[in-house]
Amino acid sequence: MSTSAVLRSEWIKVKSLRGSVGSLVAVFVATVAITVLVFATVGRAEADNADAEPLFDAFYAFNFGQVAAISFGATAVSSEYVNGALRVSLAAVPRRGLFFGAKTAVLGAAALLVGLVTSFTTFLGGQAFLGDYAIGLGHPGAVRACFGGGVYLALMALFAAGLAAVLRSGVAVLSVLIPFTLIVPFVLGDMAGGAAQFLPDRAGQQILHEDPSGMLGPWTGLGVTAVWAGAALAAGWWAVRRRDA
Amino acid sequence: MTSIDVQQLTKEYGTTRAVDDLTFSVRPGQVTGFLGPNGAGKSTTLRLVLGLDRPTSGTATVGGRPYAAYDEPLRQVGALLDAQAAHGSRTARNHLLALAASNRVAARRVDEVLEETGLAAVAGRRVKTYSLGMRQRLGIAAALLGDPEVVLLDEPSNGLDPEGIIWIRELMTGLAREGRTVLVSSHLMNETATFADHLVVLGRGRLLADTPMREFIAGHSRPRVRARTTDPARLRTVLARAGHELAEAGDGRWTVDGVRAEEIGRLAAREGVPILELVDEEASLEEAYLALTAAETEFSAPSTPLQEA
Repeated sequence: MSTSAVLRSEWIKVKSLRGSVGSLVAVFVATVAITVLVFATVGRAEADNADAEPLFDAFYAFNFGQVAAISFGATAVSSEYVNGALRVSLAAVPRRGLFFGAKTAVLGAAALLVGLVTSFTTFLGGQAFLGDYAIGLGHPGAVRACFGGGVYLALMALFAAGLAAVLRSGVAVLSVLIPFTLIVPFVLGDMAGGAAQFLPDRAGQQILHEDPSGMLGPWTGLGVTAVWAGAALAAGWWAVRRRDA
Repeated sequence: MTSIDVQQLTKEYGTTRAVDDLTFSVRPGQVTGFLGPNGAGKSTTLRLVLGLDRPTSGTATVGGRPYAAYDEPLRQVGALLDAQAAHGSRTARNHLLALAASNRVAARRVDEVLEETGLAAVAGRRVKTYSLGMRQRLGIAAALLGDPEVVLLDEPSNGLDPEGIIWIRELMTGLAREGRTVLVSSHLMNETATFADHLVVLGRGRLLADTPMREFIAGHSRPRVRARTTDPARLRTVLARAGHELAEAGDGRWTVDGVRAEEIGRLAAREGVPILELVDEEASLEEAYLALTAAETEFSAPSTPLQEA
């Protein structure tokens, strides 16, 4: 089969599904909107805080944007598990590795593109409200954080996509991952060290720090998230290949 | 020639055998009806043919190759498995476009099958707004997309209105006339009788029959003659002498079991009994099927109940 044909088919599926397009748009809109809201209101006050960390704080809205990224990955894959849709897909593309690989590639590419745009827009947009407190892309680690932030969002989407293929349900994925990413960080607070720093979201967010504390550096942290995403995708790939459709 | 060949196919789910050592072939140029009650293993067999489920043992091939070995399978084999399978949030057109793209089928063909299935006017609507009959048409459109030599349809007339049922019947016989291989599963006997040339009958996952439909009906039903006469008493005596029994069917009609019209006609003519009407009663496919399955349950040992997986 032609790989480019299967990629095209998967792209048509993504863009023709309101849920997946919606969550992709939400990654950008939610992150940027919350950034604008927060920075326009309490931005300067927060920046004046003694423990303010201008670079990491710039990506505060990622807490919400990543939920949309997770939804994107989960819904795009779980749409195949509604009413035997997967049978139609696999009848058209019986090479299951190709099918899942093409789906992953399309989701990853779309999430990466949106993630990068979101990341840079969030950083630059938020700083525009800070006046004297503002930092620019010249700030140490800023470009790395913007770029890495986009990669981080894509990896979270892929992590969810892999889990969705294992669990065969978007709802199941969201009910595992959303508490995981929204609540666990609040409960653990800024507690550094321990196993918590190897959680996919905590590890990946190291890339957003100017000077990350803990065992993981910015890139090794992002690497840990990549390993999580890779493991979820491998499990998903195995499930798609082995199970009866 | 593209036939479907199923060889000693078995599929077990846990301890239940959905398909049990099944061997049959589906030939091109005719419509083959795939019959059996719900849970007989029809859908499972179709999934095995399409390589969607892994057989426990045995093989299923299309045109001599496993389905998954086809480079662009939609161009060889089109299938309707479940009318609900199209995602409700997609438009019918996008659903077909995604399928077409994967097998490099021209987008023009999407419009053709939408036209052919009568969905062209609603192709831009989301599938969740469709009735079951419209979804069924969409599933059939998807099956026809690659202009395939082999068409597999699982209960295609589900949810179709009478007009739709006539349409699908003509579609299927038309495809067969073009030399294509058409396998249509159904649990509705009388409907299958209107389009099938050949029958493959399953019961509890096993093959019960694989014969032309005419032979199937003839082989599993007793002949019966219907007659009208002005002198039933004399006809009764004449028939009794020949060992036949005249039974009253009401409304001035009489029936004779286990005999054909030519024999009754000869007897009546010899004896000069006036006959107003004399017809061989055609047994229905349903009757033949029930006769077969009745015999089957009689001879088969009690086995574990099966469920359609």
